[in-house]
Parts: sequence; structure tokens; C-alpha cells
Amino acid sequence: MLAALVTGIATGAVYAAVALAYNLMFSTSKVLSVTTGHLCMLGGVLGAWAMGNAHLPMPVALALAVAGGGLAGWITDVVAIRRVLARSDEHLWLLSTLALATMLQQAVGLWWGTEPKPFPRLLAQDFGAGLGDQKYWLPVVVAAAAALGLELFYRRTLYGKLFLAMSEDAFAARARGIPTDRIRSLSYVMAGMLGALAGFAAGQLTFAFFALGLTLTLNGFIALAVGGLGSNRGALAGGLALGLVNSLATYGLGGEYQQTISVGLLLLVLLLRPQGLFGVRALRPV
Amino acid sequence: MLAGALFLIGLPLLAQDEYQLHLACLIGCYWILIAGLNLAVGYTGQLSIGHVGLLAIGAYVFAILAGRNGVNPYLALGAAGGMGGLCGLLLGLPSLRLPGFYFAMSTLAFALIVSELILAQGGLTGGGVGLAVPGFPKPVDTPAGFYCLVLAVSAVVSLLAWNVARHMWGRALIAVRDSAVAAAAVGVPLFRLKLTVFVFSGVTAGLAGALFASLQSYITPDTFVFDLGLFFFVCIIIGGRGSILGPFLGTVVLTVLPEAVAPLARLGNFFYGLLLLMVVLLLPEGIGRLVSVLRERFWPVRLESVAVAPDLPRLARALGHKQP
Repeated sequence: MLAALVTGIATGAVYAAVALAYNLMFSTSKVLSVTTGHLCMLGGVLGAWAMGNAHLPMPVALALAVAGGGLAGWITDVVAIRRVLARSDEHLWLLSTLALATMLQQAVGLWWGTEPKPFPRLLAQDFGAGLGDQKYWLPVVVAAAAALGLELFYRRTLYGKLFLAMSEDAFAARARGIPTDRIRSLSYVMAGMLGALAGFAAGQLTFAFFALGLTLTLNGFIALAVGGLGSNRGALAGGLALGLVNSLATYGLGGEYQQTISVGLLLLVLLLRPQGLFGVRALRPV
Repeated sequence: MLAGALFLIGLPLLAQDEYQLHLACLIGCYWILIAGLNLAVGYTGQLSIGHVGLLAIGAYVFAILAGRNGVNPYLALGAAGGMGGLCGLLLGLPSLRLPGFYFAMSTLAFALIVSELILAQGGLTGGGVGLAVPGFPKPVDTPAGFYCLVLAVSAVVSLLAWNVARHMWGRALIAVRDSAVAAAAVGVPLFRLKLTVFVFSGVTAGLAGALFASLQSYITPDTFVFDLGLFFFVCIIIGGRGSILGPFLGTVVLTVLPEAVAPLARLGNFFYGLLLLMVVLLLPEGIGRLVSVLRERFWPVRLESVAVAPDLPRLARALGHKQP
């Protein structure tokens, strides 16, 4: 039971981190990118390659993974978002990010192999630590630090305030002289770095696996929709709720119905509170 | 048009080996699903990436009824279509109320749930081991006969889809895709329309699943990976939204191309992703638009300038001035 709780909190933290990355990109572009989970996957795979195959020290591997995630985020913006946002068709960004996510996943699959590979130890710790093992608390620490850092960033820095301005009204922000394209690129790079950091920290829990991206995209989105789109507090709460429900259901019913139960949670919340737990009710788009 | 139909009917005579005929049957099965999905994706703009789940449901219903319980395959085919429609209804009822990205994600989740349930209910579906699927009785038991069955079903489905698309229904669907608010304002029953189209696409997916399973003769959960759903989706987008012929050509080309060019098969999804990205960025209207774009590029329509000389006396008369 305790093991199920700890596992639930740890996986929930990964989902919460993905939901935070979703939020970061959504704030400046109003786009929910399908590549979000793949950024996280990239962090895990790059970290495992750098530490396991290239035998680089941990900080270098971390820097490499984060840089790779940031690059992937930047590519998402340049390739899949920038040209598409200029047109007013709202479906196109879904298609372009889906295409990019597919390419990313398949490229990693061809390069890294389609088997999940173990992630090396990040910190020197005995394997006998049980539930105090680093693979359980590292994702939680990273997700909490990311949420706290984003909160400070939004409240204390000029760039954070620019993000907030763009999330309120991108046209008005542009009219006030904010370089909206550059700010959007910055937000995608930051989201990529955040996702990769989370994937790196959670690597020992999830393994370095190329198909992880799609699962994380879906589950991170469920966490986001449950918590409320655009709210970082909601992302944390939704992620934790999803992780706990998943692992307790696995504990009680066996692992076969995991996906069914997480979608059930999503439908339940959307029925009762369509805007999510911490979301703001949207106006009718007339 | 007539030549194309004659070619399709005469294909069993033209085909050099059974493999080509198998490929033609595969295209037919895919097309039965895509013809229905096209109405939902291409016309109505409901981006369902999880139709592979409905395909799997049709296939398993057919395999369980016809293979294990000995039901007449034609009845089982009908039951697979009905089950596909029912599951489409169950999926569509909650998810079609959601906006674009939410809908796409719920269909993705549906596809994952279906494969999860197939694995979990091993007693019924054979779990990871899979199920053997029977063929159809005489005279459809030969490859050529099966091809004719697939051709007949796909002809009926195409005809239905074409009839929906070119009449008032099709206009309403396009209106929903282009602006849901405007469509609702002119009296299109949004939700009912989307649901009807989605259920229709579920029925075609169920039929396609049954035929697909019979063609493969053995199905496991791995037959219905998510990538297959992506493939259907890419066929429609590449062919062009809001047309019937475009997605058909997309299906044919995308099925044949990896078979003909071996390196593409190795790249697999990467190739589909790249193709989708290029089409979305360069030709959002689909490959079908390429022809007219190229024509305008190389043979631009000359806009002739016509000098308009004003007929001043008549103008003056009209204004009531006296002639000087």
C-alpha cells in the first residue's frame, strides 16, 4: 500500500512536470503541442546515452539532455508553430505538432532502439534504500522546483510578465511593442528544457524508452485537463491525482486497466467541472 | 471514371501474382475505413487519430463470432459493422462535445484503452497470443473472390460517402469544419450532425476491421498498433480535406509506396510524419491542390486589361443635362 502511494506520487510528479511544460507553451501561443511528452522522453534518452554509452559525468549529461530538450522545443516552435499560427485555421497546429512528434519518436526509435533501456544511477546511493530510493523522490523534487521556479519567474522577472501579457492577449502585447515571436520561441525553449529535465530526473523510474513520449503526452494532458488549463497549481494537483489514482488502481485491480481508469478520471472531472479543478471558465467563442 | 471502374473490376485478371491481389484487398479494407473517417476528419474537421481502436473492435467481433462461435461470416460482418457503430456512438457521445485537441486526445486514449482491454480479456480475445480468423465461404474463398467482396463493400461505402458529401449534408459538414459558430447560427444541429457522421465512420471502421481480419487470417493486439491509426489520418490529410478522390489516391499511394521502395518501409513512421508536416506547411489543402498551384505558377491566367471608355453624352442625358 505504501509502495503504491510512493510510486503514485513519483509518476504523478512526472505527469505534473509534463503538464507544466504544456502550460508554458500554452501561455504564449494558445497551442497544446503534441510534442510535449516527447521532449520529456528526449531528456531521458539523451541522459541515458550520455551517461551509459558515452560515460560522461552526471552534470555534463544533465546539461546535454537539457540542451537537447531546449533545442527540440525551439525546433517545435520554428517548424511546427510559427508558420501555422500565421494562418487562422485552428486545426493546423494539431497536425503539424503531431507530425513533428511522430518524426521525433521514430528518429529516436531508429537511433536508440525500440527496447526500453535502463537509466544509470544519478546519485551515489545504495540500492537497498527501498521507498527512499532516488528514483522516487527525484521527480517529485524536480516537479516541485519547476513549479516554484515558474511561479517566481512569472511574478518577479520582466520576461515572466511578458509571458503573462501574451497569455492575456497576444495582439495587445504585440501592439505594445513586445516581440511576440521571440517570446514565444523563448517559452518553447524553456518548456523543452523543463520537459527534458523532468525526463532526466525520472529516467530511473520510466527507463529510457522511445515510445514513452506518446504516453506522457496523453497522461500529461489528462493531468492538465483535470487540474485546469493554464494553471500551474492545477497541473501539480492534476498530476498527483492522476498518478495516485493510477497506482492505487493498479494495486487494487491489477495493471490491466490503467489507461481506462485514467481516462475515466478525466471524463468524470470534465463532466462535473468542464474547466478543471483550478481552471477559469472560458467564455463562449462567438 | 468508367475506365477506372473497369480497371478495378478487372484487376484479378490483370494481377500477376497473389501478392498484388493481397495488396489490392488491403487497400480496399483501408479505404472502407478511410471513406467513413474522411467524412469525420476531412469534411467535419473532427480530428480523430484513434480510429484504429474501432478497426480492432470490428476485427475482434468478426473473429470471435465467425471463428469461435461458428456464426455465418456474412452475419458476423454485419455484426462487426454494428458493433463498430455502437462503439463509435459510445465514444462520440462524451468526446464530440470537446474542442479540437481534447477530442483528438480522447480518441487517442480510446485506441489505447481498446488494446488494453483486448490484452486484459484474454479469455475472450486470446490476449497477446491472438486469434485465428476464418475466411468467407464459397464463392468468396479464393483471393479473387475475396477481392470482389472487398470491392463490392468499398463501392457501397464510397457511394454512401459520396452521396452524403455532395448534398446538403456535405455542405453542413463543411460549414461545421470551417466555423462551428457560424454553422450553428444558420441552424445546423452541430452535435447531432457530428455524432451521426461519427457513428457512420464507426460502422465503416467495423466493416473494414472484419474484412481486414479475414484478409490477415490471424490477429493479435500488435496488429492494431497506434501507428496504423496515424496512417489513416495521414492518408486523408495528404489527399486533401473536403474531397473523396484525394484521400482515395492518398490511401493507394501510401499503401503501395512502402512496398515498392524498401528504404521507406524501414523509415516507416518517420516518412509519414515528414509527409504530413510538409503537406501541412506547404499545401494545407492536400496534394490535390498541387496541380492547380503548379498550373497557376507556370501558366498563370492572364488578366487582360480592358479599356473602359465612358459614354459621356449618355451620362449627361441620364443626369438630365442639356446637350451643349
